Amino acid sequence: MSTPARRRLMRDFKRLQEDPPTGVSGAPTDNNIMIWNAVIFGPHDTPFEDGTFKLTIEFTEEYPNKPPTVRFVSHMFHPNVYADGGICLDILQNRWSPTYDVSAILTSIQSLLSDPNPNSPANSMAAQLYKENRREYEKRVKACVEQSFID
Amino acid sequence: MGDEVETDTAAEGVNQINQDELILQQQRQIEREISETTALVGDLEPISSLNSEYASDNVYLEKIKDLASKYKHVRRTRPDGNCFFRAFTYANLERLLDNQDDFTSFYKLVENSKNSLVELGFPQFTVEDFYDTFIEVLQRVGEIKNVNEAKKELHRLFNEQGYSDYMVVYLRLLTSGQLQKDQEFYSCFIEGDRTVADFCHQEVEPMYKESDHIHIMAASAAMNTGVRVVYMDRGNSKANTEHDLPEGTTPSVHLLYRPGHYDILYL
Repeated sequence: MSTPARRRLMRDFKRLQEDPPTGVSGAPTDNNIMIWNAVIFGPHDTPFEDGTFKLTIEFTEEYPNKPPTVRFVSHMFHPNVYADGGICLDILQNRWSPTYDVSAILTSIQSLLSDPNPNSPANSMAAQLYKENRREYEKRVKACVEQSFID
Repeated sequence: MGDEVETDTAAEGVNQINQDELILQQQRQIEREISETTALVGDLEPISSLNSEYASDNVYLEKIKDLASKYKHVRRTRPDGNCFFRAFTYANLERLLDNQDDFTSFYKLVENSKNSLVELGFPQFTVEDFYDTFIEVLQRVGEIKNVNEAKKELHRLFNEQGYSDYMVVYLRLLTSGQLQKDQEFYSCFIEGDRTVADFCHQEVEPMYKESDHIHIMAASAAMNTGVRVVYMDRGNSKANTEHDLPEGTTPSVHLLYRPGHYDILYL
């Protein structure tokens, strides 16, 4: 049955195919348009460079009035990513706007990789290392990048 | 904290619970409870129906008497944070159905609004989605010749979550556009050092964010429709306070405000 959420997700998918932003991709899973798989490539000139990080995006029938739940499937070491892959990003919580689409979500997460916000940490160790021991932080991140090839 | 750095990678961050999701879960539970008990837009009820909410509260009972001396009916809306936008859009379309000319000029205003939003920097792709639905609702109620049937259809569409919420989103976007277009004027109503654009992103565009005076000013300007808000609260005076927005206009829509919530009033 076509609902506003499903109709909108078809539009989002069409746009993502026709006008794909650099470094991100995503598509609905085979039998359920409400669950998507996505990949974000680690941005250049950051310790995440060369990584291919997998995510899942789960929508409800309230999309786009409410944000989807986005989660990294790949293991991440990042100040704003929880141990379970959940992401602490304002636009996915209290600053969500119905004008965002999948494309905007993925590019926002991509910029979060380049610019972590250590003041609202989801992983306190990553936040602390990011602020106080950048070399160790980068070492941990690079370990994730290498693991992302295997996953 | 310092020695935590030594723990191995597998354990990192495990002690941190995903608080955001817990909060969201609880919020969803509360919303479910509200949506099971209150329609998005209710039926017409006599003003005296408000009495039951204030059984032995003399301050409010006096004010309901005052309200009943001016208004015949009240129409309740669901208290989900969108009540102002939903009530205002519904009441406005409902009264426009009574006047073909006003309806036509409002239709034109909406038709032109999409391009203004895109010019202001709103993403065309997503704005279009909400605009299309808004126009579809206008067309569906507009083509029904019998006014009462048209109002029934409006009521039906406004109680269908998909349509109803998209109407709310589009008015939120128009309100945000109005605030940004006229930001010099509106900036003095915003507390703290937030810019008008920040305020719009945090308080206007997201669904379920409650409305204040500034939202109403901008929404009524964007819809080119005067609104009277009747404030009913615990204040000492026997009469309710009234505000017309934009100031000095003849109001076409009347709303009842009780702390935290808006319903529609009928003369």
